[in-house]
Amino acid sequence: MANTKKEEQELLELRKRIFITGFKGGMAHLASCYSCLEMLYVFYVKRLLRFDPQNPKWENRDRFILSKGHAGLALYGVMEKVGLISSEQYESYLTSVSQIGGEPCMRDSEWIEATTGSLGHGLSMGLGMAMALKQNKSNSRVYVMLGDGELQEGVVWEAIMTAPSFGVDNLIAILDCNRIQKMDFVCKTIGEPKWRDKFISFGWDVIETEGHDIEEFSKSISCENTSGKPRLIIANTIKGKGVSIMENNPNWHFKLPGRKELKVFKEELGITDAELE
Amino acid sequence: MNSAYVGKLMELAEKDHDVVHLLADSGTGYDEMFRKNFPDQIYNFGIAEENMVAAAAGMATVGKKPFVFTAGAFLAYRSLEFIRDDVCFQNLNVKIVGMGSGLSWSSLGPTHHTTEDLAMLRVIPNLMILSPATPKQVAECVQVAYEHEGPVYIRIGMNHEREFFDDRYALDIAKNDVIRDGQDVLVYSTGSILDEVDKACELLVQDGIIPKLVNVTCIKPFNKDELLNDIESFGSIISVEEHNINGGLGSILCETAVYNGRNVKVIPVGVEDKFAEGYGTQLIVRKNNKLDAESIYRRIKEAIHDE
Repeated sequence: MANTKKEEQELLELRKRIFITGFKGGMAHLASCYSCLEMLYVFYVKRLLRFDPQNPKWENRDRFILSKGHAGLALYGVMEKVGLISSEQYESYLTSVSQIGGEPCMRDSEWIEATTGSLGHGLSMGLGMAMALKQNKSNSRVYVMLGDGELQEGVVWEAIMTAPSFGVDNLIAILDCNRIQKMDFVCKTIGEPKWRDKFISFGWDVIETEGHDIEEFSKSISCENTSGKPRLIIANTIKGKGVSIMENNPNWHFKLPGRKELKVFKEELGITDAELE
Repeated sequence: MNSAYVGKLMELAEKDHDVVHLLADSGTGYDEMFRKNFPDQIYNFGIAEENMVAAAAGMATVGKKPFVFTAGAFLAYRSLEFIRDDVCFQNLNVKIVGMGSGLSWSSLGPTHHTTEDLAMLRVIPNLMILSPATPKQVAECVQVAYEHEGPVYIRIGMNHEREFFDDRYALDIAKNDVIRDGQDVLVYSTGSILDEVDKACELLVQDGIIPKLVNVTCIKPFNKDELLNDIESFGSIISVEEHNINGGLGSILCETAVYNGRNVKVIPVGVEDKFAEGYGTQLIVRKNNKLDAESIYRRIKEAIHDE
């Protein structure tokens, strides 16, 4: 299903906002932000994540961890859109009075459930949360968004291996499967990864979805898990989605546009010179 | 020491359902006793320490009070980044308990020695560090850690440490314990090596030298006022630790003295910036590395002679 006009408009505005903020700050992982933006939008704007906007520590909330922390500007972007953080806080990014940096940090916002940045930490922290919530007989879910490059970190496999034995069917890992890591395509780095087979063999319930399709992704989040196992949602995405020269191009992992490239960004995202000043 | 640790933890677990005991395939018979009594408060993560430490951080965000227990070497070295980023940076209520401190795992060699943990961990902000010397102190440290809202590292020995304290003993982390009072030489010690240091002090007494022996349990925050007072009365300090001479107790004494403008000589007795040599009982390996009572005694005599 195609996204609605309204959704597309809001997503474009978010992409624009992320770009302008990152560009002014002088540093951003734009391509990584854009590959998971629709999914973050589903969680925070479409509210498939249960939270109380008035109470960040509401006991029965779902937890969301952005383990691929370098997309922090996108997470903070959707949080700003729904009023969890202020515009002032978002715009302070990398200024002399920064209230946020490039990675989600608990110190900077009560809405951040886990500080990430060093890859590979999020799934284990999420596992601990899921275990504790189970012990408390809570119905809350724990969502952990991982990058496919991130899965090269060994500790992630410690968590994947142990999670099924703790019966945490309240733990949902989302793989932002954009198939590109910093230097190259994932398959050129580690061969064909076959994530589905690997996770199934480790005892997970696995479903696959389209990460840029709001309805499809929403369905996969709402889809009941009766397996008794932790679940992996493989979300197929395009790194750099939304700007033609950045899409599916490994050169853009950690790069801002030069003068010529900037023209493309401005045209495709509808940005004026004044907005970049 | 393990018995004292698990015994105290069971006492806490009974009162507080949020106390959870986390293992990395590192349990003993004592832990089985814990499992029998509190089956839903113990989790074995398998041989996966990093995952266990990060999961403990996650549990703490939900209000649990996890005590993570395995060999100190596998916590301080292998899991260092997880202790730093997930537990300490987020300032979460996780207790990291490293057993087999110093040369306790003497038969297994330096991969199992925990002789650089204080150096590595004490530079991490938010982390309280406790180094008990006796079983009674282990239990007290667990109580202190439980009451402290925030990350704590406890390094504990494992080879039937001698008890120095009676049942009335209560650990006050704002104070060091004076094991022997004296006026001729000042000796600071931390952790399980206390027994050897005390025996070395006994040998000094036989020579007519009366040492003051101070046992430091709270490595961080360090009680600087007591040290500064001691320095007023002694021209030098001998620090003894089952740890590299760099980065541990000796370094703390130097830093504290110099940062406070005191001119004092510190004589470090510890593992001499090397991987400890030899295999066998802890006593054999202590002897091989000049950390047994006789060697410590000789070092102190040399220091006195040099003055």
